Amino acid sequence: MEIFETPLPGVGVRYEFTAEAGDHVGVIVRRDGKRDIALYDRIDPDSCKGTIELSESDAGKVAELLGGTQITARLDELKHSVEGLAIEWVTMASGRGLTGKRIADGQIRTHTSASVVAIIRGERAIPGPEPDFTFEAGDTVLIMGSDDAVDRARAILTG
Amino acid sequence: MTGLVATFNGTAMSQGAAQGAHSNTALVLIELGLVFLVLAILGRVAARIGIPSVPLYLLAGVLMGTGGFIPIDAGEEFLEVGAQIGVVLLLLLLGLEYTPEDLKVGLRTTWKAGIVDVVANGVPGFAMGLILGWSVTASLLLGGVTYISSSGIVARLLDDFDRLANRETPTILSLLVMEDIVMALYLPLMAVLLIGASVAQGAIAAAVAMAVVALALFISFRYSRHVSQLVHSHSRELLLLGVLGLAFLVAGLAEAVQVSAAVGAFLLGLTLSGQVADEVRALLPPLRDVFGGIFFVFFGIAINPRDLVPVIVPALILAVITMATKIGTGTWAARRVGVGPKGQWRAGLSLVARGEFSIVIAGLGTAAGVQSQLGPLAAAYVLALAVTGSILMRYADRIPAPAFVVRSRGPGTPGSARPISRPGH
Repeated sequence: MEIFETPLPGVGVRYEFTAEAGDHVGVIVRRDGKRDIALYDRIDPDSCKGTIELSESDAGKVAELLGGTQITARLDELKHSVEGLAIEWVTMASGRGLTGKRIADGQIRTHTSASVVAIIRGERAIPGPEPDFTFEAGDTVLIMGSDDAVDRARAILTG
Repeated sequence: MTGLVATFNGTAMSQGAAQGAHSNTALVLIELGLVFLVLAILGRVAARIGIPSVPLYLLAGVLMGTGGFIPIDAGEEFLEVGAQIGVVLLLLLLGLEYTPEDLKVGLRTTWKAGIVDVVANGVPGFAMGLILGWSVTASLLLGGVTYISSSGIVARLLDDFDRLANRETPTILSLLVMEDIVMALYLPLMAVLLIGASVAQGAIAAAVAMAVVALALFISFRYSRHVSQLVHSHSRELLLLGVLGLAFLVAGLAEAVQVSAAVGAFLLGLTLSGQVADEVRALLPPLRDVFGGIFFVFFGIAINPRDLVPVIVPALILAVITMATKIGTGTWAARRVGVGPKGQWRAGLSLVARGEFSIVIAGLGTAAGVQSQLGPLAAAYVLALAVTGSILMRYADRIPAPAFVVRSRGPGTPGSARPISRPGH
C-alpha cells in the first residue's frame, strides 16, 4: 500500500491511500493531536463523502481496535513458529524492582538469558533499548526467552 | 505666600481632577460594558445565521461613536489601546499558526500562485485608489485591502464544513501562507511610506525595515527553541504573562523602528515553536477574539455612517472585480497542482472572504490620516466580501462551475504530496 503525505500549513499533516477494496481514504493528523478520517467521494475525488473526527484518546482506541489484535496475533504466530519461545509484557510498578534503575543494573541477560526486546512508554515504543536505558513506573517491558528465563526476568524487573 | 497659594490651588485642582476621574471611570466602564454586550449579542446572531462575526462587529462600530446612534467617547481611549492589543494578538496567533517549516513548504510550492495572487488582487484596489484621485500611498493600502484573504474566516470555515481532507485544501492553505509572507514585507514598507518619507529616505528606511524582518526571520528559523524556552512555564498564568510581555515588547520595538507592531507580533509568533506554541495556541484565542472584537469596533467607531454613502459604489465595484480575480487565482492555483474541476472551483470560492487583515491594513492608513475615505471604503468592502465569501464557501458544491474550469493536465497527485512507506511523525 502506498501512502501519500501532504503538509497542511497551520493544521497538521494529511496522509492518503487507496485501500485494496478501492476506497480512497485520508487521515489528517492535527497538531493538537486530533485525527480526522475522511472517505473520498468516488465521483468527485477531490472532496469527501464524510469525515470522522477523533480525539487523541479516541484515535488511540481505534488504533488498538485496528492494529492491536494484529500485534497479538503476530506474536502468537512467532511463539508457534519457535518451539518453547515465551513472550511476556511486564508493567513496571513504582518504587519496586528495576523501576528507576538502568537495564544494565538488572543484569537480566547474564542471570536469566532472557532479553529485553522493547519498551512501551506512554504512546512511544522504544525498540532495542540501550543498556543504560532507565526504567520508569508505568513502562511496559517486552521480554523474550525460554519460559523459565522469562519468569525469572519478570521477577527481577518487578522485584 | 505664593507657595501657599500654589499649594492650595494644586490641592483644589487635584480634588477636582479626582472627582472628574471618578465619574469618568464610571462612564468608561458603562460604555465598555455596553460595547461588550453588543458584541456578545452580535456574535450569537452571527453564529445563528452562519456568517463570520467580523462584519457585524464592524457594523456595530459604525453605528456607535461619531455620528452613530450610540455615542461612545469616554471609553474611546481604552478602545484605542485595546484595538492595538487586538492587532498584536491577531498577528501573534497568525504567526503561531505556522511553523517556519510551513513557510518553507509554502514558498517552495506556491510562489508562482502567490505572485499571481498579488497581481490579480492587489492591482484592482491600487487602480481604484488612483481613479478616486488618492495618493500613491493610500492607493497601495487599498491594494493591500483587496489583496489579502481572511485566513481567520477561511481556515475556520474549512474546518466547519469538513473540507480539511479535501484535495484542494493544501492549495488554499498554502496561498494563505504566501499572503502572510507578503504581509510581513508589505507592512513595514507601508509603515515607511506612511511617515511621509522622501523617496531617498523611504528607500533607506525600507531597507532597514527589510533587514530587520530578514534578521527576525533568521532568528526565528535558527533560535526558535531558545526563545520558546525563555517564556516556557508549566503555570498557564506565567506562560501567558511571558508570551504577552514578549509580544508587546517586540511589537513596540518593531513600531519604534518603523517595521510596524503587527509585523513584530507576527514574527514573534513564527519564532515561538514546539510545546510553547501548542499551549499558547490553546490559551490565547479567547483573548484574541475579545481584543480583536474591540479592534473591529474601534475601526468602525471612527467611521461616520454618512461617510459610507459616497464610497458604496466604488466598494461594490471593487468587491465584484476582486471576487472574480480571487476565484480565478484559486482556480488556477488548484489546477496547476492537478486538482479536478470541482475542487478547483471550491478552491476559488474559498478564497473570496476578506476580513481581519484588510481592516488591519486600512487601520494603518486611517491611523496615519492618509486618506479619509480609506476607512469607510475598506469597511464597506470587507462587510460585502466577508459575508459573500462565507456564503460562497458554504454553498461551493451547489454553485455550478463555469465552463472555464476544466480538467487539469497537471501531475496526478495534487499538492506537495510525497509517497512514504508509512506515516511517521
